Amino acid sequence: MRILVVEDEPDLLSSLAQALREEGYAVDTAPDGEEGLYKAENWTYDAIVLDVMMPKVDGWTVLKKIRSKHKTPVLMLTAKDHSKDRVRGLDTGADDYVVKPFDLNELLARLRALIRRTSNQTSSTIELGDVVIDTAARTVHKKGEEMILTGREYALVEYLALHCGEVISRTTLYEHLFDENDSSLSNLLEVHVSNIRKKVGQEFIVTRRGHGYCIEKP
Amino acid sequence: MIILNSIRWRVQLWYGLILLLVIVAFSVSAYHLEKGRRFKVVDEELHQRLGALMASLRERHPFGGPPGRPDSGRDHGPGMETEEQNRKDPRVRPGEQPPPEGEFPGEPLPGGLGRPPHQATEFNLNPRIVQLFDAADTNGFYYQVWSREGSLMAGSSNAPAGAIRPEIHGTGNLSRRNGYMAEVYDATPFGDCMLVGHSLRRDLKELHQFALSLAGVGGTVLMLGLVGGWWLASRAIQPIESITATAVKIAAGDLSQRIDVEDTESELGRLTTVLNSTFARLDAAFAQQGRFTADAAHELRTPVSVIILQAQTALKSERTGPEYRKTIEACQRAAQRMKSLLESLLELARFDAGEETLNRMEFDLASVTAECMDLIEPLAQEKKVTLIRQFLSVKMTGDSGRIAQVITNLLNNAIHYNHENGFVRVSVYEENRSACVTINDTGPGISAEHLPRIFERFYRADSSRTHAGEHAGLGLSICRAIVSAHGGEITVSSEPGVGTTFKVRLPKS
Repeated sequence: MRILVVEDEPDLLSSLAQALREEGYAVDTAPDGEEGLYKAENWTYDAIVLDVMMPKVDGWTVLKKIRSKHKTPVLMLTAKDHSKDRVRGLDTGADDYVVKPFDLNELLARLRALIRRTSNQTSSTIELGDVVIDTAARTVHKKGEEMILTGREYALVEYLALHCGEVISRTTLYEHLFDENDSSLSNLLEVHVSNIRKKVGQEFIVTRRGHGYCIEKP
Repeated sequence: MIILNSIRWRVQLWYGLILLLVIVAFSVSAYHLEKGRRFKVVDEELHQRLGALMASLRERHPFGGPPGRPDSGRDHGPGMETEEQNRKDPRVRPGEQPPPEGEFPGEPLPGGLGRPPHQATEFNLNPRIVQLFDAADTNGFYYQVWSREGSLMAGSSNAPAGAIRPEIHGTGNLSRRNGYMAEVYDATPFGDCMLVGHSLRRDLKELHQFALSLAGVGGTVLMLGLVGGWWLASRAIQPIESITATAVKIAAGDLSQRIDVEDTESELGRLTTVLNSTFARLDAAFAQQGRFTADAAHELRTPVSVIILQAQTALKSERTGPEYRKTIEACQRAAQRMKSLLESLLELARFDAGEETLNRMEFDLASVTAECMDLIEPLAQEKKVTLIRQFLSVKMTGDSGRIAQVITNLLNNAIHYNHENGFVRVSVYEENRSACVTINDTGPGISAEHLPRIFERFYRADSSRTHAGEHAGLGLSICRAIVSAHGGEITVSSEPGVGTTFKVRLPKS
């Protein structure tokens, strides 16, 4: 999952990005609205965390411009907690609204819910036959036994599981699993897939040669 | 009593009371006037009849004298002249017509007149006069004649039985009330007493009816008056009710409510206008207060968020020493920002409350300005902005530290909101016995939309934290508070794209 964080307060931006990365997200950051808008328009994100009060271009403008092209879920982050501001935010097309100061766990839960909703999932657990993926706890169980995956491996499983039945191209996977700072080798994806197969099962991820990878519906 | 607390009820009660008094006074007066009028009519009638009776005595001797001619060519009816003559001098006239010797035997009267020993049956009045007292058609008039001794000699049939001879003393008011009867009397030339009476029963009954109708009409008028008064009071109170209703809404917290003014010239209209303008000022003050609180909270939210997020992120897993250090540094920066915000807020609050005391002393504004510029020179160099000085020495009295704070703040803005290789021109001079500093920059300027509001607390033309952590939009508010405390003024003019000029004018002493 790749997330864009647009926030002009550097200390807030850095800790938010760090926390999200530790949660296994690929995180891009932007220190103002202008750069945020540029990134939002040029990459595909699974979610965008957007501050409202920013220099150059404010959050409302960024949101409006993103909405004219993308359906990416946007979580507004603001210090304004008047209900009219919330209403304005939600009416402009924000998917959620978090008021500063916020609780990190709440923000993470809201982001998970946003991403789940865009994948048409209603619950935080995804069951694929005897494999159960808990997106809240970030764990994968097979026949009740927990499979130990690295953060990146888990992210790969989660992404494919959320889009199960679909064939996901390698480019898309790269886009969603690696952030702008990753200079990973192109065969890194294959290494991850191979490791997951060893841990969960050879048939868990199917390779569609020339197209990409897929977790099939049970 | 709750009712007495209502103006409407009090007005109604007073009004009702006054109306009642007026009606009662009017009715009582009307009753007494009517009573007096009626009694006067009766009285005059009685005197006329008594006069007629007295006059008849002169025409025809009651004790068997020759009967008067029915038609003597004179009007024998009751007449004022006759009556008056009779009343003026009743004892002289009879001398003109002395009774015949044979008919008037007996001892002489004490007054020199004499008459024969009387017999009641002998006392005969002129029948034509007596006719006036016919019970059937004289409306209850009657007469009675008593002898000197007190025995009843004659009387009309409708006279009340058992009446007593009135005592005659002098020539005063010879009238009396005998139960329902009004009676007037006088002494005859013979020393007898003649009385004419009339029953007041009918008059009193009519008066009673008159009083009843007065009471009825009065009561109706009172009721109508009360209803009208209630209506008027309601009409008069109605605007007050609407004022109250609005005031209640305002008291409940809806400060946007205003009272409808129908007629601004009326007393209530003027009151309403005053109240509305008061409400408007209150509304503005509350809105400003609310905005100020919201802005202050808003400014505090970001550093608080930083501290919470940094701490939560750091605590999520084991960190290395440098990582903790980074976290603590970020928290410290946020705390510093909160501290400076709180200091600014407290400073403004002290100015608002008038608690901030100025440490007044005489100083040269030019040298204080020069010190400020020396201190800020490194920042100007860093931003590649050239500072230009145009100073004239101006001695003034004030708090030099505070003035330096204002100048530094304005210089800071002028350097920050400037472009590379720009200029900041600072002038100190005297104008109209005021010490003046102008700080002119070559920055982007402030649009006319924002210009009037830049001294407002937390107001920022660019609506974002361009200089995060440095100031929260309170700097100019504090500048204005300091200058105002000195009795001076701070003004701004700006031309977008050219630059902005702040001018501080301070009284010299």
